[in-house]
Parts: sequence; structure tokens; C-alpha cells
Amino acid sequence: MIKEYFKIAVRNIRKRALRSWLTILGIVIGAFLVVSLISLSEGLNKAVMGELQAVGTNIVMVVPGEGMDITAMFGGLELKNQEMEAIRRARGVDVALEMPWQMKNVRWRQTSESVLLWALDLQTGTDVARTDMGWDVREGSFARAGRREVIVGNLVPQNIFPGIEPGDEITVSGRKFTVSGVLRSLGNREDDSSIIFDLPDYRAVTGTVEGTPVAIVRIQDGYDIDLAISNIERSLEEVMVRRRGDDSPSFTVLSSEAMIEMVENILGVIQAGIVAFAGIAILVGAIGIMNTMFTSVRERTKEIGVLKAVGAKRKHISALFLVESGMIGLLGGLMGIITGLGAARLGQFVLDQNPNILVSIEAQAPFYLIFYTLLFSFLLGCLSGLLPARRAARLDPVEALMYE
Amino acid sequence: MSSKPQIKLDKVKKTYRIGKIDLEVLKGIDLEVEAGEFIVLLGPSGSGKSTLLNVMSCLDVPTEGHVYLDGQDVSLLNEDQLAGVRGRKIGFVFQQFNLLHHLSALENVTLPAVFQGRSESQRKKRAADLLESVGLGERMDHTPPELSGGEKQRVAIARSLINDPEIIVADEPTGEVDTDTGKKIMGILTDLHEEGRTIIIVTHDLELVDYAQRVIRIRDGVLSEK
Repeated sequence: MIKEYFKIAVRNIRKRALRSWLTILGIVIGAFLVVSLISLSEGLNKAVMGELQAVGTNIVMVVPGEGMDITAMFGGLELKNQEMEAIRRARGVDVALEMPWQMKNVRWRQTSESVLLWALDLQTGTDVARTDMGWDVREGSFARAGRREVIVGNLVPQNIFPGIEPGDEITVSGRKFTVSGVLRSLGNREDDSSIIFDLPDYRAVTGTVEGTPVAIVRIQDGYDIDLAISNIERSLEEVMVRRRGDDSPSFTVLSSEAMIEMVENILGVIQAGIVAFAGIAILVGAIGIMNTMFTSVRERTKEIGVLKAVGAKRKHISALFLVESGMIGLLGGLMGIITGLGAARLGQFVLDQNPNILVSIEAQAPFYLIFYTLLFSFLLGCLSGLLPARRAARLDPVEALMYE
Repeated sequence: MSSKPQIKLDKVKKTYRIGKIDLEVLKGIDLEVEAGEFIVLLGPSGSGKSTLLNVMSCLDVPTEGHVYLDGQDVSLLNEDQLAGVRGRKIGFVFQQFNLLHHLSALENVTLPAVFQGRSESQRKKRAADLLESVGLGERMDHTPPELSGGEKQRVAIARSLINDPEIIVADEPTGEVDTDTGKKIMGILTDLHEEGRTIIIVTHDLELVDYAQRVIRIRDGVLSEK
């Protein structure tokens, strides 16, 4: 029986093709927004979380800037040597590493590319990188301090300098360096596409003497993390108050757990915003369906009368219209998902081309997103058809038959 | 003739309220129809003949009085119960055919059986047989816009027969077709009568009187029989 309703619904949708497509478009837009934006933000989530979760729990991060504001990391604020020393003086701190980065032209053989250079103080930081941040070479060996050695990220031999291998030489700012090894993947494309320099070498090629947008701090084994964090804060406050003469030191110390929580909060807000925004779009689409279905009921009044005359009960008439509106919803959802996934891919591509974005995003379309978008658009279609279907079902057969 | 009439109208009144005025269309009609009768209901427009047909065919319920179908008081039934009775017992043929334009002839004919919950194979077979019997075996997959007026009315007759009803009601069945086609349509209805079905035709066309066993005239909501 449902098959017949389906057949009639499909014929009706096709018969009024333009109106049907416009109605479907209303749902497509909503579903499109949900799918494209959520899958991008899921991608962001995964990229950031992957990076954060790789970090050991005894690692804390110090960033300049007010409050829990992750954008400070990208805002050009830096920790200077004075602050780095203050961090190192704090009780419980084992190692404090500056890890600045910058885009630079790098030449290998005949090719020259703009590459992200990333500094690691090999003298003090090799152990932190290898044991606490999970860095490992898949080819060659780890760079040694003072040897003008660099390590290239996992994707560099594929995407940037195809064929580059340990033992090769690269030139940056007129200085030559030897590639000692290739890193295993660090979990995101941006990191994997960078070249790691020893901090003194980095300073030399970038012409900087101090400053880092982030400090990575390892707490001594067995020392309480929260206590160490407050020691670092106190130590930094003294330096900053003394230097600036005001009482508003501007920095944030984050444990890896706090970082994860912060990022989760931010992403949660972003996703809630997306859902609310797209929800309004879908609601407008639903009103469109309702409008179309009411029009359809009016146009098909006579048909409804005929169906009733030949024995259709109220439930049959309702079902006929509900199947149609549900199908409009479902079709809209389906098309929204397809175009949304396409747009997310496109967005990912555009973001990848932008060197200022540090986290590379791989659009994620989890099953639940597809499933719920489909389910929701179908249910919304049915819901929008509910009132029109009710009106159709309640038409008086005699009056409906006389309707012209 | 059986002892109990197939259709019995007992002091049936039908009043429509138009604005503040009550318009009495049927003014206390008593009528008995035996199974297997061929009735032509004649009357000018506005006489109440369509309203009478609607009440007799369970499309409408009287404002006052009772309608019995096979002994059952159908004036007490709700809308869905009436739909069930119509689907099982009554076949409708309309002046304007009233086919669904986006469905094929075959699909149109099967439709009433869908609401009776018949299986797909059952309905398709019967619908094909019926279309064959009205001479449309070759035109089953055509949609109504591709058919002539006479063909459409034959599809409509086939549709009225899908659930094998005892009663066929036809409102001006020849009203939209030419004279020759009209004769063919009446021929088919006569055949159905000979199969034992009750045929009730509403018309203002006096030529149809020749086919009838019984002619009922209605004027101003009151019957007169000849």
C-alpha cells in the first residue's frame, strides 16, 4: 500500500517540478549548512584534539595574552627571553622550550619553496620532543645540536621536495643545512609539512634574537602539576609587573587537560552556533514545505473527493500527503548532505592553501551527522505536512467532489 | 425480489445552511430500491437529484431520517465507516470521469482496491481483466490525457467495478461524451445490470429513460414515480 502512496507522491512531485524543487531547495540549504559547517568544525576538532592528546600530561603550555584566549597564539604576541627565564626559574619546572615558527623560502637542488620552519632547542628539548611529544624519525636519525642538521616533516618528501632524503642539503637565507631524518606523522598536515630547525639555527636564518608565541614546559617528575602552574604564574607575574609597571600581567598557563577542555568549550560553542544558524534555515524550509503542501491540498481538492468517494478513509488521505511531504524533506536532506560534503571538501582545500592557518583541517563527516541530518529532514518534512494532511483528510467528500 | 430492500430511505431530509437561510433540498423522501433494479433518476438542475444520489450512495448523510443499506442504518455511521461501505458496496461513475491524471488507466482502476487492502497481484489482475472487458486492453498504460472521453468513461466504469460492488451509481455518465459513445457506455451499464448489479443513474437526459426498468422523477426535493 505504501508503495502506491510513494508512486502517487513521486508523480505529484514530478508533475509540479519547479515548485517541488524550490520547496526541496529550502531544506537543501539548511541541510547543506549543517553538514558543511559541522563537518569542517569536526575536522578542526579532530586536528586540534589529535595534537593536544599526543602531548603528555606533564607538559604545560605558556602563551602570551589575556585569559583563555587561544587566538592569542595567532595574534603576534610573544614571550621574550626575560619571560622564558622566569618560567625556567619557577619551582617544579624541568625544561622550558621556545618553539617559534615562521614561513621561509627553502631551496633544495633546483627548487625553492616557502616552507614552515619550526624551532626546537635540540640541546634541551630533544628528550621532551621524543618522549613527551611523541616525535620520532621514520628515516635517518634525529638532528643533533650544533651540527646544522634539520629534520623534515613526514609530508615534505612527498609534497614539498619530492625525493628529498637524509643526507641531502637545503639552503635557507644563504646557509646550508643537512637533512638528518624524516619525522613520522605528527597527526596533522601543517606540522607534517614543516622543517624542524635547531633553535640557534632558526634564530640565525630568521634574523630573530628572541620571542616565541608559545613555550612548552615540562614539569619535573613527581612534582604536582597544579602547584607547578601556580609557581610559573607567580614567577611570570613578578617579571611582567616589574617590566610594565602595571598589575595586569598578560599570559596564560595551560595544562594539557585544560587545553583540551578549553578547545572543547570553544568548539562546542561554535557547533552550537552552527546548529542554531542552520536550524533557522531548516525551519524556513519547513515553512516552505507546509506552504507547498497547503497549496497542493487546495489544488487537489477534487482528487481528494474522488479518492474518498471510491473508499479512501482519512488515514489513507493523510498518508498520501505525509508521504509526499516526508519525501520532499528526505530529498532535500539528501541533496543538502551531498552538496554540504562537497562544500566541506572545498572549504578544506581553500584552508589548506592559506599558510596562516596553522591547523590543517580534514573535513569530517561522521556517520551520526549524515544519519541525523537525513532523519531530521525527513521528520521535519512529515511534520510540515501534518497540518495540510489533516486538512485534506477532513475534507467533506461531497464538497471536495464539487470543487472546481 | 428479496423481502428486504437493498436501499431504503425513510423520511430523508437534507438541509443546507447557506448564510442565515436553511435550504431544504430533500423534503422527506421515502424510497425503496430492490437489488438488481435499473433506476433512472430524472430531474432538472437544482431539483435535489444529486443530493439524493449522494445520500443513497453513502457519500453524504441525511439531516433527518434514515438510510438503510442491506438493512444497516448507514445514517449513523461516521465518515470513515461510510468510506468503508462505499469502497466495498458501491461503484461510482462520474460525469467528468474524475480519473487521476498522473496515473495510468490500470493504476486508476486499481486505486479503490488499494484502500480495501487487496494485494498488488490481485488488484492488477482484476484491473487488467476489467479494462479488457470494456475494450481497453491495449490502452492500459495510457494516462487519462492520452485517452478520448469515451475511453476515460470506460476506465471510470472499470474502476467502479474493481471491488465487485453490488450497486453502481452514475451521475450523468453520458454528459461529457457524444451520442454514439453515450450509447456504448449505456450498453456496458446494461450488461452490468444483467450481471445482477443494481444500477442507479442520475440524469436530465430523457433518452436514458429507455434503458431503465424504473424511472424516478424528482422536483423541488420531492419524488414522483412513473
